[in-house]
Amino acid sequence: MESWDVVVVGAGPGGSYAAKTAAELGLKTLFLERGRYAGEKNSSGAGLGTRWWRDFPEIMGKLPYLSSYRRIDMIVIKVVDEENRLRLVQGTTGSDRDGSRWSGSLDKGMAGASIYRSDLDPLIADLAVSAGAELRTSTLACDVIMEKGTVRGVVTEKGERLRAEVVIAADGAMSTLARRSGMRGRWGGGCTLVPQIDFVCDEDKLDAVVGNAEWCWFGPFNGAYQVNFRESFHLGAGKWLRPDWDTRPPDMLRRVMEIPAFQKFCKVVEARPREYQAHLLPWLKKPPRTYTGGMMLVGDAGGFPCPLDGEGIWHACMSGKIAAETAAWAISRGDVSEKALAEYERRWKASPLGLEHSFGPEFVEIWDHSIFDPELMKRLIQLILELSEIHPFSVLFDWSDDHVSCLNRHLEHLFDLVPEFSEFGERYIKPLGAAVSPQVVKKALLQAKGKLPLLRLLPDQTYLRALELLNRRLGSRLKEAAGR
Amino acid sequence: MEGIDFEVKELVYRGEGDTGDFISFDPGRCDGCGLCVKVCSAGLWSLREGKARLAPRYRELCLECAACWEICARGAVDFSYPAGGTGVTIRFG
Repeated sequence: MESWDVVVVGAGPGGSYAAKTAAELGLKTLFLERGRYAGEKNSSGAGLGTRWWRDFPEIMGKLPYLSSYRRIDMIVIKVVDEENRLRLVQGTTGSDRDGSRWSGSLDKGMAGASIYRSDLDPLIADLAVSAGAELRTSTLACDVIMEKGTVRGVVTEKGERLRAEVVIAADGAMSTLARRSGMRGRWGGGCTLVPQIDFVCDEDKLDAVVGNAEWCWFGPFNGAYQVNFRESFHLGAGKWLRPDWDTRPPDMLRRVMEIPAFQKFCKVVEARPREYQAHLLPWLKKPPRTYTGGMMLVGDAGGFPCPLDGEGIWHACMSGKIAAETAAWAISRGDVSEKALAEYERRWKASPLGLEHSFGPEFVEIWDHSIFDPELMKRLIQLILELSEIHPFSVLFDWSDDHVSCLNRHLEHLFDLVPEFSEFGERYIKPLGAAVSPQVVKKALLQAKGKLPLLRLLPDQTYLRALELLNRRLGSRLKEAAGR
Repeated sequence: MEGIDFEVKELVYRGEGDTGDFISFDPGRCDGCGLCVKVCSAGLWSLREGKARLAPRYRELCLECAACWEICARGAVDFSYPAGGTGVTIRFG
């Protein structure tokens, strides 16, 4: 029987990054892929955010040389109303106060990069192989070797038994290893289904019409994303697999494809559908148990995708890296029991991955009660449009009447809409207040103090101490900001 | 305006080789709720006499998304993967 320090199952981004990290740490590492090559089975064309430059620069530096790459400088939201008219186009790129988000090089998008999985996955798998890990393709792991409740290796479909000190399961949303080891069964309502179409089009025309941007389509339907690649784009949609499911997946895409603005766009860039893809995407309030004796789950298998936007590749690589580091630590101590591998959860919870998941329930609730509720979206769009009218440019260019009347009419409509959404705000937006860091709370309070003539006389520390004593909730945040 | 449409089965690519059976269905557990019919992009499930039925040719038509497994609360559908190196090839994912 073959014996390894670490066997990783799955050569997607999470598995390959785990294999790379394990090999770099000197562990004898094997990773298995069921496809004929890494990326053959994966379909979530990736929009990678700028945090990739901080965490995985060795990957990002290579992307511009791959054939599907498009630099991304902004995300453009296209808001469509009930009658399928395009009503608002809003860009978002984030500001960059200290230059940490990008370096200014033209290769580095201000909002990230787009890349096919058929380009990205082989790249990361190659990095793992270069680091010394062994890759076996066309190899399906179908069971775990269990001894006294601890995972001791995996069994392939050909009956090979591969022993490992530690197994890292990166085998996707329906993880065979998580199921076979008894860690879990179905996700049971916490998993989405994502249908997606790849369109091929004219590269120059896509440059001219879209430029360096991803698009999102918001309307009285499930939101849809459009990830733009070099000479192609993905149109994707999705929602949670629950008993209220009522549509055929391809029809979710057809609903967006009937928007005249989308049809015209396709015509202009000469787009035609080239490939249909569908995959599961766990979109959970929090990852369930991510470890057991001898085994850790990473990426989609562990339920790690972002609870706010469903992006999962950064989460896969982060969890893969942390799992491999934990494996090295546990093996060096000679203890890979469930108790020892609890270290994995401690480590990922203390990382940026854990910080994002600490607001998982709040993030999921917002989506669940807005974008995935077409009836509410009809009214929410009214609010979004009215809020956008308060934008200085909108007031300037509103030609429906004299500008004073226009402004007042918009404000009046906005005040009509606000009570309707106050419950929504109270229930789903307000809890996010806890995500604002104590330092930012302190900054805001001191700025407010400067605006009030009477308070200006009070020393800052006295003012903050007084607030700390007067308001219990605020008090604990201020205490934290002051490091007390 | 000129519409764009598509046919799922014309937009899916496959490698060669025998996938083996990778979906199993237990009619005894099925309560005929029909959710598997609704979630399948390839239209491989149908309802007959109050029970779901999987198309006999599913091996050459399935997209391997596993939605039928995830949606079935009764556990009537089990999904494993096609044999290594066979099944759907995603070229532009």
